[in-house]
This record gives sequence, C-alpha cells and structure tokens, in this order.
Amino acid sequence: MTIVTGHPGAPGKIRAARPGILRQMWMSRADYLYVLPAIVVMLIVIAYPIYYTIDLSFFKTPPGLQLRDKIFIGIDNYTAILTSEVFWRVTLNTVIWTLASTVIAFVLGYGAALALHRDFIGRGVLRAILIIPWVISAVAASYIWKWIYHSDFGIIGAVLVQLGIVDRPPNFIDSVSTVLPSLIVVNIWREFPFAMIMLMAGLQTVPEQLLRAAKVDGASAWQRFWHVTFPYLSGVSTVTILLLAVANFNSFIIPWIMTGGGPSNASHIWITHIYELAFGRQRWGVAAAYSVLLFVILMTLGYFYVRALSGNEKKEGTS
Amino acid sequence: MTRLKFGRAIARGALVSALATSMMATTVLAEPPVDLSKWSPEYVRSIAGTEEFDTAQECSQVTPLDYSGHLTFWYQGVFEGDPDLLRQYYKDFFEAFRKTYPNIQLEEQALTYNDLLDKFRTALLGNAGPMVVRLQILGGVEFASKGYLEELKPEDVGWSTEDFWPGAMKSVTWEGKTYGVPTNNETMALIWNADIFKRAGLDPDKAPATWDDVVTYSKQIHDKVGVAGYGLVARKNAGNTPYRFMPQLWGYGGGVFDEADASPTYGEVRLNSEASKRALQASYDMYVRDKSVPVSALTNQQADNQPLFLAGQLGMMISHPSDYNVMLDLQKKATGDDQAKAQTVIDNMRYGLIPTGPDGRRAVVFGGSNMHILKPEYVEGGKVDEAAARAIICFWTSPEWSLKMAYAGSNPGNLNGFKTKWMKERLDNIKFLDVTTSMLPYGVPFPALPETPEIMNIIVPDMLQNALTGAMTVDQAADDAAEKVKALTDGGGL
Repeated sequence: MTIVTGHPGAPGKIRAARPGILRQMWMSRADYLYVLPAIVVMLIVIAYPIYYTIDLSFFKTPPGLQLRDKIFIGIDNYTAILTSEVFWRVTLNTVIWTLASTVIAFVLGYGAALALHRDFIGRGVLRAILIIPWVISAVAASYIWKWIYHSDFGIIGAVLVQLGIVDRPPNFIDSVSTVLPSLIVVNIWREFPFAMIMLMAGLQTVPEQLLRAAKVDGASAWQRFWHVTFPYLSGVSTVTILLLAVANFNSFIIPWIMTGGGPSNASHIWITHIYELAFGRQRWGVAAAYSVLLFVILMTLGYFYVRALSGNEKKEGTS
Repeated sequence: MTRLKFGRAIARGALVSALATSMMATTVLAEPPVDLSKWSPEYVRSIAGTEEFDTAQECSQVTPLDYSGHLTFWYQGVFEGDPDLLRQYYKDFFEAFRKTYPNIQLEEQALTYNDLLDKFRTALLGNAGPMVVRLQILGGVEFASKGYLEELKPEDVGWSTEDFWPGAMKSVTWEGKTYGVPTNNETMALIWNADIFKRAGLDPDKAPATWDDVVTYSKQIHDKVGVAGYGLVARKNAGNTPYRFMPQLWGYGGGVFDEADASPTYGEVRLNSEASKRALQASYDMYVRDKSVPVSALTNQQADNQPLFLAGQLGMMISHPSDYNVMLDLQKKATGDDQAKAQTVIDNMRYGLIPTGPDGRRAVVFGGSNMHILKPEYVEGGKVDEAAARAIICFWTSPEWSLKMAYAGSNPGNLNGFKTKWMKERLDNIKFLDVTTSMLPYGVPFPALPETPEIMNIIVPDMLQNALTGAMTVDQAADDAAEKVKALTDGGGL
C-alpha cells in the first residue's frame, strides 16, 4: 500500500516507507476477521484435502492393509504412473476427449447462438429445445444413449438395418476403435447448449449501431461477423472454451455409466481411471498421485481462465 | 423335459458326492444337520418339510426379545434383475424383525451388488460404517484382513458352524479365525430356450454337455436361427462377469490360482496355464470367430441378457433359478403380441447343469452373502450395539429367513433351511429350483484373499476384454492377466 501525503498535485510529494505485511494485516485486522470464517472453511474443505492427497501420493496402500497402515514409498507411485503403458493411453484418450469435445461443442454452440440471435418465428421454442440436452440429468442421458448405441438392439442400428444400409447394427461402444468417438458425440450433444447460452449472452453486448454502420459502409455479412461480432465475442469465447475444457477434463458420468472405461480401457479418461484405481482397486496412493498430476494441469487451465477473466474486466474498464 | 436329464447326474451321485466332500471340506466336518454326501435333487426333496423352527424362540436365546437398542445395517439388497417375489420377502423380513424386536431401532440401507463394496470401503475410510453389514461372498476376507471386522462365528448367534456349507465358512475365514455368518449360498445353472434349439436343429431337451458344445451350439443357433447363441457377459466391475466366466475357466481345468483344487494354497498363478487359455479361447471363438454371442457383451451385464432371452433373441445363458420368476415378472409387463411371445419363451425355458470341461470337470461359482459385525472404531458414532447386531444376524441366518430371503434366487445359508416347510413349498413353486440346488456340490468358492475383488471385478474382465476386442491375442491377454495377478499378490503393480 502506498501512502501519499500532501496534495496529490503538489510538488515534492513524499512516499512513506511501505509497512511490513504483518503490520498491514494488523492494520486491516477488522477485514481479516470478517473473512476469517470463510478462510477456515476453505482451509478445511480445500487446503486440507489437497495436502492429504499430496501426502497420500507418496504411500503404497495394499488391499490387505488399512489406509492408516500405508507404506511410505517416496515417488514410486509417480514413477510407476509415468512409466505405465495404461497411463499414456488414458492420457491420450483424455486429450482427444477434451479437445474434440471442447472444440466441436464450442463451434456448434457458436453456430447455434448466431442462428438464434436473429429474429424469426419459433425462435423461443427452438431455443428451448436446444437447451434440453444441457438441462436433463447426465445419468439419464447416458442410459438413454447406451440404448441408442446398443450394439445388438440399438435404435441407430435398427434404423440402419431397416433401411438396408447395413447388414448388422454398427458397433459403437463395444469396439476399441469406435467407443471414444461415440462417447464424444454424446458429450458434445450434452455440452453445446452451454456454449450456445454463453455466446448468446455475449451477442447481446455487440453494439447494434456498429453493425448497422458497417452495413451502411457496404460490409458483407461475413465481414460484419469477422470484423465486428467476432472480436466482441473474443472474451466470452475464451471463458467458454476454458470452462468447457475444465468440465471435459473432469468428465465422469458419461464414460463411466456408458462403458465403465472399457472395452479394454479404450474409453478410460483420467477421472474414470482415478475412480477405478481408488474405489475399485483400492490403490489410494496411485490414485492420489494421479490426482496430483490432474490438479497441476487443472490449476494451469485455471490460471489461464483467471487471466482471461481479468483481461475481459480490463477491456470493459477501458471501453 | 430337463428333469429327465438329471438321471445321468444322479447316476454319477457317488462321484459327485466324493468330489463335493473333498471340495467343501475345510476344518472338520462334524455333524451337519443334513447329509452332504447324499446331496441330490431327490435327497433335497426328501428332507424338505421335515422339521419346524421357531425363529423368535431361537433368537431370544441370543438377544432377549424385549431388548432395547439401536442398529445400523447395510445390505446387498434386491436389484433390477431380481424377481418381485424377492422384493416382497425383503419387505416381510424387516417387518417381522421389527415385530419380533419392537424395541430395537433399526436403520437399514439397501445397496446394489455393484455399489456396495465401493460405498462400504469409502465409509470405512471415514470411520462411518454401519454396525452390521451383509456383503457379497468375495468381500468378507478383504475387510477381515484389514481388521475392520469383529470375530464372529455361527455359535455367537445361536447356530453351529456345521449348520452352514463348509465352502461358505471358508469365505468368512481369515488366518484361521471366523469373521461372519453366511446368509445364503447359490450356484447357477444353464438356461436355454428349447424352441430356439429345435429351430437350430438341436435336441430341444438336451443341454450342451461340454463347454466345447456350448461354442458349437452357439454358432449353430446363430447361423440357423439368426439370434445370439450364448449370453456371454464380459463387463468390467460387474459381478456377473466372474460368475459366468469362472465356471468355464474351472471347467477347462484352469483357474486364477489353485482355488478349484481340494486344498487350495493360492500360491501359484494359473491364469496363463494352457487350460486357462483354452477357456479364454472358447470365449474368443464365440465372440470374434463365430460372432455367435451378443456384441454388447462387453458393456452389458446379465440384467441386459434377461430381456433378450425373453424376447427370443438369445439361445442359452447362465443364471439363477430366479430367472424363471424374473421372466414371469417381465412377461406380465409386456403388452399385446409381446406378451404372447414372452409366454412362448417361458414355456420353452429349460434348466440344466452347467457344462463340463473336456475332461468332464464341472464347476460353478459358490456364491452367496455373509453377515459381519464391524469393530466400533469404524462405525459411525464409535459404538456397536452387540446385542442388536447379533439379533439381526440370528434372525437373517435362521432356517426360516435364510430360506425365505433366498426364496427364488439362491439357497439358505443355514442348512436347516432345507428342512423347513418353506423349502418344500418353494420346491413345488419355483420351477427348476432342483437344478440349481443340484449344482451346489460343484460350487467352488472364490479365493479367500483380500485381493480377490480386484482379481474378479477388474483383472479377469480386463483379460476377457483384451482378448475379445483384439487389443491382445488370447495368449497375450492371459499372460498379461497372470502378470497382473502376480504383481498384485506380491504387493505391486498398477
């Protein structure tokens, strides 16, 4: 904190020495007291689990021992994870899942937002219909899609067979090569309405007069979009993409319910794999080490999210 | 009719009895209430309804009926694949218990088979477990080895160790000490659709004798009738998978360890033995080579096979005696033409013994559940009401309730249950019950090791999936699984 004495415009202003952090806290003790309960709660529900997870990641937890009898093994869990074939496979799956789901959901949401921004009859109804995938329970959606995809009696397979397009129903979720793309489709279906809503809100902030002025100046629809709308949506787009990426990185329900990570680990992503390691196989230490790695990645994404948010605030402040 | 085919099985009674006695012998077979050496459908019929039991009177010797207390209880309850009849018995049980012990405040919670272990493990980490738990048979040793369970033997709840199947007692024993009481024990059977067999040019009343026959029949059914031949199940983290694959593995002479031997030591991993690989090859042949089983086998469980069977889209499957009642329940829910079609399938349902391996070896998972009392430090509130805990265990494991709670889908854990009037009644009412009961002597308990849940729920299904998806060859998948089991039991591996 800088203390300025005298009139701000007066010559020869004097800067006082900056007090130490403890002194600053003492001076603002009332403020700290007000936020103390929140800090205590955060320490209990956030800081301690993080500390405990990091601590646990250095221990082995054999199935025949209780967690309190865990054995210290240093960084062996991290070494085992990073040298394991499954880890790299699951990581590749996670990257494909996150990138494909995020990019495609965002592009579809962008298109839908632009389409619904125009005034036309039935716009409200269409908007309500498009939001349905996002508002229904992910668990229910997963079970419904499981039947839609069913490799023997699925709806898609039945229609294709009825139309004579294929002889046998396509194998969507029981094949190592098609399972991940099939699950990504479900995830995109669930998430694109979120991008659509965010971007529709963003579109409200694009100044109408600017678009009209551009039109008067002879700008085509594409030019108006590219030079006016798109730059105005850059802030909300960044935030939407980051939120989608974090949500996708943390996805659990769809892959777990539909395939349990199978067949043959082909649809395991980090979260499902961590869950299986911890709760299915009681490898608490390994699961904790995985979680620490995931935490680092998500914190990095979080950093960019916060930067994007503060960038937006700055822009809004200067405009 | 299927029953005629049991003549052959009965004729082999002596052999079966010898095998059963050796397989089930654990400590010392004192004097069980029934003669296990005579076990056959006829023997079971002959003892049914020969003795009367008064549950309240028996349990009052353990905990007085006017005892006042509080009890928390988690149990593996009914799930979507169970018949309505069973739901009713579960309801009746809790009503009867509350009526018998009106001063015990009972807080019970039902969980499905696939959820129970996860939830129970998580609760124990936070010392928030229930006072009493009823776990699937493969779970007990894990928790006993970790020190979560109190020592508990049948004598503590008014019964004798000899009142229970020796194989079941093995599943509650860890390092020579007993940690629970069996509630029910089950073995499955092969179920087939006689009409589909007929249309496929097979003898409608003859079950496949060997697992190789299952492969052949499955292909013939698929090729000639155009429906799936055999209801393979290979989903991970689902109890249905080991219950269906292990009989095949043991039948071919394989095993995870030596668990199918008379005196298992679990010292040697046999998942990659030639016999085990032959068993895996049989599944590969059906799924990949012949494409004669449901493609969805990798993501489905047995509850998904039941409607397929009822719809006449599946020729054979391994399941409980309760499936007949499940089919009746499902048929009632069908409408229009579907109801008539379902009735045709029910009329054509046949039950037979599970096929043997090439050397005539027949085996089935010795399934069931056990009840345990937790140590107070792992229970929410830090206290266990011992008297209330023993009361409910006595009640559930009594001849009456161990039978009623297993009425349609299993068998009483307490062997005296076979002597009750309700056993006689269910033999008359539950079709094909004698078949699954006849499979009991062939039952092989899961390895009594804390690592067993991971082996059965993760490693074995992974092995199947790796082979069936082509991610690995049969040999590679078996070797990979064997390595994982070895690493696990050695205390390592990912």
